[in-house]
Amino acid sequence: MQYMLLIYEDERIYGPDRENPAARERRAQHVAYSRELGATRLAGSGLKDSTAATTIRTAAGKQTIHDGPFAESREQLAGYYLIDVPDLDAALAVAKKVPLSQNGAVEIRPLLVPLVAG
Amino acid sequence: MTSATLGLAFRDASGRIVAALASRFRDLDLAEDSFADACARALEAWSREGPPRDAGAWLYQTAYRCAVDTLRRRRTEHRFAPELQRNAIEEQPMPDEWTPIPDERLRLIFVCCHPAVAPDARAALTLRLVCGLSTREIARAFLLSEPTLAQRLIRAKRKIAEAGVSFEVPGPEAWPERLDAVLSTIEIAYGRAHEDAAGSGPHFNYAAEMLEITRVLAGLLPHEAQTSALASIVRFAEARRPARVDAHGMMIPLADQDPSAWIEPLIVDARRYLDQAVSLHPHEPRVLQARIHAAWCARQSLAEPAPWREILALYDELLIVRDDSIVRLNRAVALAEVQGVEAGLAEIETFGAQPLDDFLPYHAVRADLLCRAGRREEARIAYDAALSLVATSAERLWLERQRAVLTE
Repeated sequence: MQYMLLIYEDERIYGPDRENPAARERRAQHVAYSRELGATRLAGSGLKDSTAATTIRTAAGKQTIHDGPFAESREQLAGYYLIDVPDLDAALAVAKKVPLSQNGAVEIRPLLVPLVAG
Repeated sequence: MTSATLGLAFRDASGRIVAALASRFRDLDLAEDSFADACARALEAWSREGPPRDAGAWLYQTAYRCAVDTLRRRRTEHRFAPELQRNAIEEQPMPDEWTPIPDERLRLIFVCCHPAVAPDARAALTLRLVCGLSTREIARAFLLSEPTLAQRLIRAKRKIAEAGVSFEVPGPEAWPERLDAVLSTIEIAYGRAHEDAAGSGPHFNYAAEMLEITRVLAGLLPHEAQTSALASIVRFAEARRPARVDAHGMMIPLADQDPSAWIEPLIVDARRYLDQAVSLHPHEPRVLQARIHAAWCARQSLAEPAPWREILALYDELLIVRDDSIVRLNRAVALAEVQGVEAGLAEIETFGAQPLDDFLPYHAVRADLLCRAGRREEARIAYDAALSLVATSAERLWLERQRAVLTE
């Protein structure tokens, strides 16, 4: 099964341009973890700061463009992994080892339609 | 065969068959529906030809065929059936009369109690699928309407199917996390049965199921102290059931129960499980709880003094490994008996009322201690607080009697 791992963290700890030491350290951890995952990882990346986010909201069929992320919260969507594993337990095992600061969350969501490799 | 005997035969076979089908086809709904189909066919066939020699085997074969038929039908309807379903149909020999029903109940318990399933649905799902209780029975035990409970079960089953919850028993490395979810679920389920003190009510079968499920779990995981401890706790508690209410349906507190009314064979059974648990891990929280039950059940008659000192020592030990308000409250009760009412009260007052405000035993214990300390007005207020919370009729009667004594 294919799962999307959505990483939520308080992005302020990584500085506005994601270049402070904490950000560099985390990035190195993600690179190492991606290598460790090998073929299990189909895709993945960190995301730029939520101040770079733009949201198109649709209400009653009418679209409006907004500055900022969809949900305002202390933790923001900070990155994702797309993985291919046999079942939820395997996905949980991968998600538990996703590099994360002291506080944060990884949401595990099965893909509705699996991505075809190639 | 009357429909009542049929119902019993179906329930007896249900957990094992649903579990075997679910782990074979990796589909809870298919397992449940196929078993229901098999029961419907049994009603017809058995009343015509008489019951078969082995009702369980008959139901299993029939349910298995129903499942395969359903999968074939689905495959014709949707030409892109998942690979798994085709394998399920073609690679498995059909069970016949001599095929033993594989015992996959442990696997199914781990599926129902997966941490990814909503906690409020785990117990209900286990009771439904593993114990074969009806939605109505479970709804009554959980004080929910039947549609609400049915919704909860549907959501949980959908989550299991869509999130890809595995139908494997997890490896021992995952047990600390997974086993606790299982045992807590059973504790919640049993708590519901235990609340009905008289035990003659809607939970009668339910308590029997708890004896069975803890027996199965302890048998399947004999090297886990916690599973034996839970089997022991449920037996000690069930052994005391006949003494828990008086002729008027009023609750009798543990220290006032007549030990001669307790069910001796269940106590013997409970001790056997406790010995097993103690030999593995004597200081684990559930083992300590079982030892507390054992201390009570060692009492032979009301003439013998209640074992409060031993109880207090065990709660002291339990507090070290499980510091929560329920343990603290129970310890305070023992403390009041050993060191006096004031000591017990002082202990309770350190909790701070806030987090326990909705907890009936907190008010009941506090009211009793205040009354014994001669603080009658405060005691009356505490009894009112206890009575304002939902209680079973046995508890309500007892609380009302206590309050009435106070104002005499």
